[in-house]
Amino acid sequence: MKLSTKSRYALEGLLYIAIHSPTEAVRIKQIAECTKISVAYLEQIFFLLKKSNLLTTVRGSKGGYTLAKPSQEITVGMIIRSIETHIVPVACVGSLSECNSRVRANCVSRQIWIQINDTINRIVDHLTLQDLADRYKAQNLTAKKGDSQ
Amino acid sequence: MKISTRGRYGLRALLDLAVHDGQGCIALSDIASRQALSFNYLEGIFAHLKRAGLVIGTAGSMGGYTLAKPPKEITVHEILLVLEGDLSVTDRALPEKDSEIRSFLRSEVWDVLDQEIENLLKTITIADLTDAFLHRDHSSQCSCL
Repeated sequence: MKLSTKSRYALEGLLYIAIHSPTEAVRIKQIAECTKISVAYLEQIFFLLKKSNLLTTVRGSKGGYTLAKPSQEITVGMIIRSIETHIVPVACVGSLSECNSRVRANCVSRQIWIQINDTINRIVDHLTLQDLADRYKAQNLTAKKGDSQ
Repeated sequence: MKISTRGRYGLRALLDLAVHDGQGCIALSDIASRQALSFNYLEGIFAHLKRAGLVIGTAGSMGGYTLAKPPKEITVHEILLVLEGDLSVTDRALPEKDSEIRSFLRSEVWDVLDQEIENLLKTITIADLTDAFLHRDHSSQCSCL
């Protein structure tokens, strides 16, 4: 039951922007260097994020990518859904008609898939880029303090 | 993110076995026809479940399978772990390769998801599911799960 690397990298790229440059545009090369994701792969991912209106491009010498809305309005769920066609563990979670089994009317395992789905949504829909950026900064601050002592 | 057919079909077949718990060995061909699943595919899955100690197989004309433990003692987590392998939403970490952001997201998001899913699946037993099946809406009479 794996998420695609694409959606994980999408979150990494957006979190990088939210942490390091919430107001100014960032060049994709800089993000690629820090996240160790290739520029070409990031471009594919950012194309999808632009289509979902999570990211915009700024032209010009100071151009690059910037978040399309404030980071507290972007949830992890929105990011994953803009990349994955299905975030659900089994297609029938959305609609029973997705199931081709002739015995689907008596399916009890569907309840499990629905519960897994609810568990995932409860977490990813309540976690914003801002929450993550704040936590990241707090952790790095304490780590640095620990180093200097 | 998907549960494989192996995980879905295997769970359904085991539920069928659990519903008929106490009726002796259950032939795979009966499960296959009740659940509208391929017999050959089930054979492969049950060989695996047997090796993992979840079912006991008996050979012979009256042979078939029974659950190796009472349904109350088998969790959905145990079953899916056998059928799906790793249930994690991400691949295992290669710590030396993780960037700072990646290892941060691993501990703050992906590991949290894994843990919550594990907690959930460990609370549901095969007995809970057979109860749900036996108390389902009886308006459509059918012997399937």
